[in-house]
Amino acid sequence: MKLKESLFTRRQFLNGLMGGWLGALAVSFLYPVLKFLFPPTPEPEQVILPLADYRDIASNSVKQFAWGSKPGYIKKADDGTLVAFVAVCSHLDCTVSYLADQRKFFCACHDGWYDENGTNIKGPPPKPLRRLVLAIEGENLVVKREGKA
Amino acid sequence: MNIKKVSAGIQAWFEERLGLSAILDFMKEKEVPQNKHTIWSYTGSLILLFFGIQVVTGIMLAFFYKPTLELANKSIGRIMTEVPLGWIIRSVHFWSATFMIAIVFVHLLSIWIIKSYRRPRELTWMSGVFLLVLSLAFGFTGYLLPWDDLSLAATKVGTDIPRSIPWVGVLATKFLRGGDDISGDTLSRFFTFHVCILPLCILAVLCLHVYFIQKQGMSLPLGAEEKGEGRRALPFWPNFIWRETIVWLVFSGLLITVAVFLPPSLGKAADLMAPAPSGIKPEWYFLFLFQTLKIFPPKILFVNGDTIAVLVIFAGVLLFFLLPMIDDKPEERKGKIITLCAYLFMIYAVAMSIWSLLD
Repeated sequence: MKLKESLFTRRQFLNGLMGGWLGALAVSFLYPVLKFLFPPTPEPEQVILPLADYRDIASNSVKQFAWGSKPGYIKKADDGTLVAFVAVCSHLDCTVSYLADQRKFFCACHDGWYDENGTNIKGPPPKPLRRLVLAIEGENLVVKREGKA
Repeated sequence: MNIKKVSAGIQAWFEERLGLSAILDFMKEKEVPQNKHTIWSYTGSLILLFFGIQVVTGIMLAFFYKPTLELANKSIGRIMTEVPLGWIIRSVHFWSATFMIAIVFVHLLSIWIIKSYRRPRELTWMSGVFLLVLSLAFGFTGYLLPWDDLSLAATKVGTDIPRSIPWVGVLATKFLRGGDDISGDTLSRFFTFHVCILPLCILAVLCLHVYFIQKQGMSLPLGAEEKGEGRRALPFWPNFIWRETIVWLVFSGLLITVAVFLPPSLGKAADLMAPAPSGIKPEWYFLFLFQTLKIFPPKILFVNGDTIAVLVIFAGVLLFFLLPMIDDKPEERKGKIITLCAYLFMIYAVAMSIWSLLD
C-alpha cells in the first residue's frame, strides 16, 4: 500500500536520524565513564586465617582481621568459643572498638553501644553488628558470610 | 616621542581590541546605597579576599602535598617541619577556610534578615546557596587530606550519610568513596574534588553570582524603593573600594595573627582498620549537623532515624534554596515569620554546636 502523504518530512526524518545517532553515541560514551567511576569492590567469599594466630587470644577479648576492605573482629567468649563480627558500626560506618571491662562494643563517632553479642543497645545504631560464620578447617580459621557456611 | 604618548598609544591599542573602558565606566557609575545595613555589604568582598588566599596558599601546598595512603600524612608533616615557612602557609590555608566559612554564614544570614533576596534578586540568592554548598564541600574534602585518624573518621561518617537517601544514596556513597569503603582511592578522589572539580565549579558559579549582583545593583532596605528613599549613596569607585581595602587590611592582619599563634595540628597517620578514636568532632561548621545526627533515635516508626535526619536536612536545604520564592510577601506577617526563622536557625545552630563541644 502506498501512503498518499509521507509521515515525515525529509528534514524531520534526518533530524530524528541524527538526533538518535547522537543520543546513542552519548549513551555509549556515558556507560564506560560510569563504569570507570564506580569500580566494583566485591566482598570476599571467605577469608582464611591461620588458626594459630587466634587460638590463644584471651577470653572476653577481640583480635582484628581484614574482612576484605572492612575491619573484622574475632572474639573469644568466656566458654572459649570464637565468634566473628564485621567491626563496622551499623549507624554511619565507623569502626567500633571492644571495651572488655564493660563487655560492650563501642562506637566513638556518635556514641553507639552494642552488647558483647553485637546487639545494639544504646545510641543511634539501628541494627546489630554484622556477624560472620567461623569454621575451623585443619590449621585454618575460615571466615564466611552468614548463610554461606 | 615621549612616554605619555607611547602609553596613550598602547592604551588605545588595547581599548580598540578589548573595550575595557565600558567596565571602568560601569565601576564609576555604580553606587552603594548608604544606610544602616551598608555594613553587611562588606561581607561579600571579604569572602572574596579569603577565597583568593585559599587559591594562592592551596596551590602552594599542592606543590608539596602527595595524595597517597603512604605519603599524605608524611608530606603534610614535611610541610609543617621541613619546607621553609610551610607551617605558616598551611596555617593560613586552614584559618582562611575557617574565616571564609564564618563570613559566608554572616553574609547569608544578613541577607536573609534584611531580605535582599527579594524580587528581582532571587537568582543571586540561589547562586549564593550553591556557593555555600560548594564552600562546605571544599571544607569537607580538605578535611580528609591530612589523612590522620580524626579526618578518616569524619570522612567515613560524612560519606556514609548520603547512603540513607532512598534510590540514589548507595550510588552517591560509592561515588564519593570510589568503592564500598574508604581506601586510597577515596583520598585520590577527594584530592581531585578539592583541587580540580570544586574550584572549576565555584569559579563558574562565582562569576554568575557577581554578574547578577552587578546586573541588579545593590539592594535597598525593605520599603525604601517605594518611599523613594535610599538616595544616599556612595560611589563604588573609589570611595567604597577604599573602605573595603581598610576592611581587607584589618582582616588580613587578624588572619595572620591567628595563623601564627594557633597553627593546626596533625594527628598520626590514619589506619583504615583502627577503631574510631574517642572524641571525634567534625569541623566547627558541621557541629550542629553532627549533633543533630547524634540525638536522632535509631528508629522512628520502623524507619531508620538517620534516614529521617538526612531527609530533614535535605528538605531544609531545599527550603533554604527556595527562600526568595517562599518569602513572596516580605513586608507582611509571613515575611516577619521568615525573618524570625533566621534567628531561630541561628539559635539552634549555636546551641547544638555548644552542646556538641561540651559533650
